[in-house]
Amino acid sequence: MTGGSWLCLLSPLAGVFAITLGGTRISRRAAAWISTGSVGLAFAGALWAFLSLRSQSGHHGELTTAWTWLQSGNFSAGLTLLVDPLSSLMMLIVSGVGALIVLYSVGYMDGDDEERRYFAYMSLFVFSMLLLVEGGNLLLLLVGWGLVGLSSYLLIGFWHERPSAVRAAKKAFVMNAIGDATLALAFFALIAHTHSLSFASAFGVHLSSTAQTLVALGLLGGAVAKSAQLPLQTWLPDAMEGPTPVSALIHAATMVTAGVYLIARTHPIFEQARTVELIAAGTGALTLLVAGLIALVQTDIKRVIAYSTMSQIGYMFMGVGVGAYANGMFHLLTHAFFKALLFMAAGVVIHALAGEQDIRKMRGIGALMPLTKWCFLAGALALVGVPPFSGFFSKDSIVAATLALGWYGKVFWACGVLGALLTGLYTFRLWFLVFPGEPSPFVREHHHDHHGQEGPWTMLVPVGVLAVLATVGGWLQFAPVWHPLTTWLEPAARTLAVAEPTNRQEYFTSVVTVLAGLLGIGIAWAVYAGGRLRRPSLPFLQRTLEHKFWFDELYDVLFYRPAAATAVLLRREIEDAIVLPTGPDLARTTMDAGALARRLQTGLLRTYVLFLASGAAIVAFVFLLAK
Amino acid sequence: MSGPGTAWYLALAAFLFGTGALGVLIRRNPLIVLLSLEIMLNGANLALIAFSRHVANGAGQIFALGVMAVAASEVCVGLGLVVALHRRRLALDVDTLSELRG
Repeated sequence: MTGGSWLCLLSPLAGVFAITLGGTRISRRAAAWISTGSVGLAFAGALWAFLSLRSQSGHHGELTTAWTWLQSGNFSAGLTLLVDPLSSLMMLIVSGVGALIVLYSVGYMDGDDEERRYFAYMSLFVFSMLLLVEGGNLLLLLVGWGLVGLSSYLLIGFWHERPSAVRAAKKAFVMNAIGDATLALAFFALIAHTHSLSFASAFGVHLSSTAQTLVALGLLGGAVAKSAQLPLQTWLPDAMEGPTPVSALIHAATMVTAGVYLIARTHPIFEQARTVELIAAGTGALTLLVAGLIALVQTDIKRVIAYSTMSQIGYMFMGVGVGAYANGMFHLLTHAFFKALLFMAAGVVIHALAGEQDIRKMRGIGALMPLTKWCFLAGALALVGVPPFSGFFSKDSIVAATLALGWYGKVFWACGVLGALLTGLYTFRLWFLVFPGEPSPFVREHHHDHHGQEGPWTMLVPVGVLAVLATVGGWLQFAPVWHPLTTWLEPAARTLAVAEPTNRQEYFTSVVTVLAGLLGIGIAWAVYAGGRLRRPSLPFLQRTLEHKFWFDELYDVLFYRPAAATAVLLRREIEDAIVLPTGPDLARTTMDAGALARRLQTGLLRTYVLFLASGAAIVAFVFLLAK
Repeated sequence: MSGPGTAWYLALAAFLFGTGALGVLIRRNPLIVLLSLEIMLNGANLALIAFSRHVANGAGQIFALGVMAVAASEVCVGLGLVVALHRRRLALDVDTLSELRG
């Protein structure tokens, strides 16, 4: 078991070193295949760990410590890996979907100038993410947390000659830094109270309710920033400046779901501060609505999918927030499949149209790319939650889990159902605008295929595999009938009793959400394909949504402008007036004093002796007087 | 214990020291300056030994031995310098040897 976890963690790191140290001695293609191989090997390690954990009775998991990393007083933290049901599930998702996406990158990045750098970053990301999920104490989790932020920054800004990409990378880094800071503060508070960052001691101790709330709030801050939830969501759409496989891997399938993992992992802390946990659920509910609304008016194919990612993570937050950890993790799993699929299918389209991302120009591309079209449709249906596609099983179980709570559960439930309607609407708006119909002149002019195929096999195979997974992945669990995933996760994150709906509630919710999703699809068809409905003209709402509820503008006014104004003021009043003249003044005074003191140095031995002797005489005189 | 009291020895030591210091101050020939320095050191030695006898403690005499060793090595270096100056036919006058002045 431990062998599998170490293989899983270290193989991508070995890939990073091989590519980086190989430099120009290895070809770009070789770098691509080294990276793919290393992540594939990591998947094999994850599988090994998973299978040996399954054969363990009770599968409670196992900690393995390589060495003590930090020791200070009675605090110590080791390089410890944990294999338990939760981390093995995450390892499988990260390395499995990761391997498919890195394979896809082999085709997608072919011919880019800096392929080696790209693949080194990609392996670094997979290593960091695996460290995050495998870390056996909170300190290692924080290390992984920081490293995924770094690799996300590097990959968003991969095309560093584009100013917009550099800006987006900076924005993502700064927004994430806020979350990292609150997370670190929470850990400091834990160290102060428990003198330890190991999972067992952090979860076992009962703190005062204030401390508990503060720690939980800090953890929630980290989760919200990393998972692009309100109010720290603005970096995710801009992060689409990175290459499409990066968007698929980091900003859809794995890194942004780290917040969900964090809440599920640290659920004992959240359960003792139940209010904060419900705040997490509320944040998720709000985000899924806001992101769904914004997605309705986006025109960039990747941004629509990015907003849908935010919205789906909102569902996951709602799930883990109400205490249905297994359902949240289940949606994380199926979302990884169908969202990676949607991004990569979109990437195939973008590739075939030579980098065009505007959906208004893409009409009818489906006629030229049938395989991509059907794969995308599978992903879209899974996203909307139409049975029997995977999203249906996971999303409905989350929405149903909220029903068992009090009045706020009803509010969450309504948000979830409304979100399902919005999901159907924005997803199929995208679908009807891009795929069906006669190819537009723009598409006819710019479309080029890859030797008679829709793309290189390295791109089509992962898309195909994920299309299958997105279709059947949800059959793993259907809460009223069978629930192997919930049972599997029970030792690590037991679902709260209040979040277990009755079977009637499950069926009722399923019917309602599916109907809402179908209604959304119907409206999208009527407006964008059938021509039965005209798009309502609501200029104010339209503008609000196009400006993403003015979050960027709000933060500009609230934070950027005061900071910039303060900086200008300080520059004028402090820097120019006080700090800058001080240096030259100090130097001039010193030089003047030096010129004075220089006169004492006559070079005559006798004067020096005279000084010495008179000094000694004065000292002797003082001693005599003092006596 | 017989002989003159400690105060007499100290007075002689102070006289020797003062004579030496005066020599260092007013003479310009490096040879004489070195000589005066020796007198100062010996004044100090005398004081050390006088105190040593006064408090009946041998440490002062050990110090005096140390000072003698220092004096010997100082004379070595000093005389070496004087010889070197003479060889280069420079004036044996400490006032003119002031090239290291700041």
